[in-house]
Amino acid sequence: MTVQVRASPLRLTLRAAVTAYVGLLAVLPLAALARAGFASGLGSFWASVSSPTAVDALWISVWTALVATVANVVFGTATAWALVRYDFPGRRILDSLVDVPFAMPTLVAGLMIAELIGPASPAGRWLDARGVPIIFTASAIILALMFVTVPFVVRAVQPVLAAIDPAEEEAGRTLGAGPIRIFATVVLPALAPSILSGALQSFSRSLAEFGSIVVVSGNIPHRTLTAPVFIFGQVESGDLSGAAATSLVLLILALLFAVSARAIHTRSPG
Amino acid sequence: MTHQYRILSAKLHAVRVIAALLPIITLACSGEKSAAAKPATEKKSIRTLTLGAYSTPREAYGRSILPAFAREWQKAASESLRFETSYQGSGAQARAIAAGFEADIAALSLDPDLATLEKAKLVTNDWRKAANGGIVSRSLVVIGVRPGNPKNIRDWDDLRKPGIKVVMPNPKTSGGAMWNVLALYGSALRGLTSAPKGDSAAAQRLIQDVVSNVEIMDKGAREAMLTFERGVGDATITYENEVLVARQAGKPIDYVVPKGTIVIENPVAVVDAYADRHGNRAVAEAFVRYLASDSAQAAFTRYGLRRAQGETSGIAPIPATAFTVRDLGGWNAVMAVVFGPGGVFERATEAATKRH
Repeated sequence: MTVQVRASPLRLTLRAAVTAYVGLLAVLPLAALARAGFASGLGSFWASVSSPTAVDALWISVWTALVATVANVVFGTATAWALVRYDFPGRRILDSLVDVPFAMPTLVAGLMIAELIGPASPAGRWLDARGVPIIFTASAIILALMFVTVPFVVRAVQPVLAAIDPAEEEAGRTLGAGPIRIFATVVLPALAPSILSGALQSFSRSLAEFGSIVVVSGNIPHRTLTAPVFIFGQVESGDLSGAAATSLVLLILALLFAVSARAIHTRSPG
Repeated sequence: MTHQYRILSAKLHAVRVIAALLPIITLACSGEKSAAAKPATEKKSIRTLTLGAYSTPREAYGRSILPAFAREWQKAASESLRFETSYQGSGAQARAIAAGFEADIAALSLDPDLATLEKAKLVTNDWRKAANGGIVSRSLVVIGVRPGNPKNIRDWDDLRKPGIKVVMPNPKTSGGAMWNVLALYGSALRGLTSAPKGDSAAAQRLIQDVVSNVEIMDKGAREAMLTFERGVGDATITYENEVLVARQAGKPIDYVVPKGTIVIENPVAVVDAYADRHGNRAVAEAFVRYLASDSAQAAFTRYGLRRAQGETSGIAPIPATAFTVRDLGGWNAVMAVVFGPGGVFERATEAATKRH
């Protein structure tokens, strides 16, 4: 529910400042991108985003981002749960470690993963010998995305979980509900908005991830070439309008997911 | 509970912020140190010359050529010379200069990147008229292999064999990687591989077969070399200078020069528009002339590159069967036929990588 307030000069100034700020930071660059994308006409826009390489790159980005996000939702919520509800030795250190991916250039994250599971590493040789190499496959993309975006869900869920009154769970227990039922009927509904918000951030960020993926994925068209790396290639080969066109599609996809996820959430009771 | 959490989280947050800032603080301190060295000499008149270069010759310029030229200039013109330098991928550097990075001199990996500056009306002089056709250094496209060459890779055709894993940079993301594709393509067209001479379709098939053995298409030449050093692949299509630099650093890597290969030629030009604006024309032209001098040429060879002209001591001579881009019809022709939309490379890559 929105609260109706009288328009005072201060409020108007604030509103104008906020609009200008968001406008300068987000809308203006987006408009420039759209202009560049359509600079050579609708036909060439369509031609650059409908090439088989572009379509596959966008598709690989979407599905790996989805898988990484689902993994983040499960493990991120579990991590937040453990950090808030249990006191164990090393909990504070673990809590700080969650933010490490944000403090690190993602290129370094990629190099780290490549060192860890690359073909020269013990782990890489072990995986290779079992016929399940991870590096330079879609699995490596998902792994990199999970690493880079893990803080989103944890940090979205953690404060909400900390604010839930344990008395509600105790009430459930007193009424004879098992732990699973308590989680599903008491905790989860309260957490759902924050999980969704963390998941959406994680997903959008995954769609756009470049630095780590360009190192670990192998970048083979149709197999492991993701949209951001493909866009980088378009820029590097001087096809700026093509790059803008693909970026626009990527952005529209991210927006569509965000809007529909929020719509589903508001419709469902809870 | 909530309150407690908040205090804890505030404390942790402070720790996190400090941890995140540490690298920046360290950087800022080291930055100050190098900046502090400047003012001492700033009393007399100091001319600043800006060099926008691609990354490969960074050490050759930074450690040898720039200081040596500054000394020469001091002697000849009694004027202190300070260099501002920027090194990045050749295409990115060309775009940066075209977008307004006011470099007096552009040192790039390949001709088409200088053409970007000519199109932007920034380079208006006929740089090809300079000594050695405007070329300051050369190299060869070679095949890097594991020590002792266990897979017995001798030539391009060995890279199309099933089961051979090849590492190479993507020409889409690295302009320099175009040299690699041209080496393959030209060798095939000139009858230096199993493909019949002059058979463009067979040349495209050679590229297709090699690309289907490529497991990783790195962003650039240096990244591809690092991937190979990390133990990926049996062979890497790379530049001779990359291998020589890696070997200087003690990396265990061998290489073979295929029967047919392309001579890489790196151009340099004065960026007229910016040099004139800065009043740097005379010194910029002197610098480009200096690059052809024996001491500058020798500096390039210390970092794995070949002289712009003649033989380079310490490395095998360029094979008589090697060719240049001019032998393939020039850059304009190969940019259209090989790298253009629907060109040879795109068709070969599509055929090699489409889902089976």
